[in-house]
Amino acid sequence: MTLSLRRCLISAALVALPALALAAPAGAAPTRIAALTPFTANTLAELGVRPVAIGQTLGGHDRLDPRLKGVPTLALSHPNGPNVEQLAVRNPQLVLSAPVWRKGEPAMRRLGMKVAESDPASVAGVLTETHRIGSLVGRGAAADRLARREGAEIAEARKGIRRHPSVLLIMGVGRTSYAMLENSWGGDVVRQAGGRLLTGGLRASGGYAQISDEAVVARSPDVIIAVPHGAPSDLPKLATYLSNKAGWRTTKAAREHHVYVATGNSLLQAYTDPGRTIRDVRTRFLGN
Amino acid sequence: MALRQTSVVLVAALAALVAGVASLTLGAVHVPPADVLDALAGHADAGPLREIVLQLRVPRTVEALTVGAALGVSGVLLQGALGNPLASPDIIGVTGGAGFGAILVLLAFPSAVALLPLGALAFGGLAGAMVLAIAWSGPNGGAIGRLILAGIAVSALFGAGTTSLMVAFSDRVQSAVLWMAGGLSSDGWSGLSVAWPYFAIGFALAAVLTRPLDRLALGDDVAESLGVRPRMIRLAAVVAAALLASAAAALVGLLGFLGLVIPHLVRLAGGTASHRYVMSASALVGAALLLAGDTLARTVLAPIELPVGPFMVVLGVPVFLWLLRSVH
Repeated sequence: MTLSLRRCLISAALVALPALALAAPAGAAPTRIAALTPFTANTLAELGVRPVAIGQTLGGHDRLDPRLKGVPTLALSHPNGPNVEQLAVRNPQLVLSAPVWRKGEPAMRRLGMKVAESDPASVAGVLTETHRIGSLVGRGAAADRLARREGAEIAEARKGIRRHPSVLLIMGVGRTSYAMLENSWGGDVVRQAGGRLLTGGLRASGGYAQISDEAVVARSPDVIIAVPHGAPSDLPKLATYLSNKAGWRTTKAAREHHVYVATGNSLLQAYTDPGRTIRDVRTRFLGN
Repeated sequence: MALRQTSVVLVAALAALVAGVASLTLGAVHVPPADVLDALAGHADAGPLREIVLQLRVPRTVEALTVGAALGVSGVLLQGALGNPLASPDIIGVTGGAGFGAILVLLAFPSAVALLPLGALAFGGLAGAMVLAIAWSGPNGGAIGRLILAGIAVSALFGAGTTSLMVAFSDRVQSAVLWMAGGLSSDGWSGLSVAWPYFAIGFALAAVLTRPLDRLALGDDVAESLGVRPRMIRLAAVVAAALLASAAAALVGLLGFLGLVIPHLVRLAGGTASHRYVMSASALVGAALLLAGDTLARTVLAPIELPVGPFMVVLGVPVFLWLLRSVH
């Protein structure tokens, strides 16, 4: 090949490449999507989109949609989320992330991935985010149907609430009480289920705050729910520990044996079936 | 003690007393002072107010006084024994070991959270023992440089262990964050009931060591000529400091600031490095500072409680900097 012919071919390629890029539909919905949270993964499954990778659900896979079986799973670790090399191998066009993994997002963007955060911290947010994910992946109509179904299930789950017990909802374990406030996912679920949060209208960044044990003793909650870490076999031990904590043992919840330890992640993060979570909280913990 | 040192000790004692009264009367729930007195005297009716005073505030106040004093004294012991103004409980590996023990319980065995103080004590003691074994074995055993380097290495080892645990259980890290930030908890007497023998032995050893440490400050040769065995005194001081610091870390987490700064603050205020004065004043200032910081941390945004570490820094650093600037 002569030098002049090679130059001509290179020039032609340089002209043609931008033209080809323009020819591709600019707003085309991404088809290769990675979903890092169970909510986004389940939403995609409901919308008929099979993600190229999903985040490993911390604490178990108890509520993951069965249609996601076989989808490669990415281990997640604080604060970056997935290993960016493992993510890059899956070549996603869109990554549905969460604020907790924000530190890792610039690296994803540098690799050409579009990143959107979606992690509802309220029951109402589930419906909003369902619509948003639908429009991001080009399944607006399916998302409308899903959101309508979720809304109906929430309304059904909230029917006939008779009592509004006061509830202390705490996260993790430790010698201090780390309360989930009304602007946390768990706090909002308890409110939707008819519980009155002991922390009232308190809000804090992230939805959690270390709460004074004096306030717990003085306000004496009807129900204490702990969302712990650990194996299910450990739960009775944790309930006993919490019931006998200094001061707490005098609360109404401890006296009347309404100190519960929740299993699974449904009070820690959103799924696509908030109606079921609300129903579970009413049945298992609030009895209302 | 000269008038200046006596004044410092009296002011520190008064500050500890005022902080103690504030700690018992202030909190997320308003308890009238008369009710506090009734509860303390055993005249209060059964109910939440009595529970708050007797089960939450009294143990927390005693815990803060004990831990604050222990951190102050352990700093004095280490700075005196090692002849190093930067020595603190962090440097002998005890804090790193205790941190590892506590995080291990919190993250790997959350159902055994009641054993947290024990775990912190066990690993704090183990780290201290490792440092001592390394520093006192082989040629030149007991040398200050060897002890400091062993402490740094053991701290790094346990620090790496703590980080590994946090990565391995990254979904549970939230439980560890507050402990690492340092702070007291309203956990009744459970912590002190485990840790009190460590405090008792540590304080007793410290009291015995005041005069030998003064002699050690004159240099090893002079100290030996005065009948003191420098290596033995150094070993005893490090053991006492390790006991006090690991017990303190078991109860309040990682609060290295107190052990480092308080002895300096006390020396600057009193104008002397006499251990009899520095030890007693450091105990009182540490107790007052931790108690005041804790009371502030649990009342300023009540019912939300903030970690005490930042409050102690806010209280202590301006005073320290003022002294540093004004004393020649």
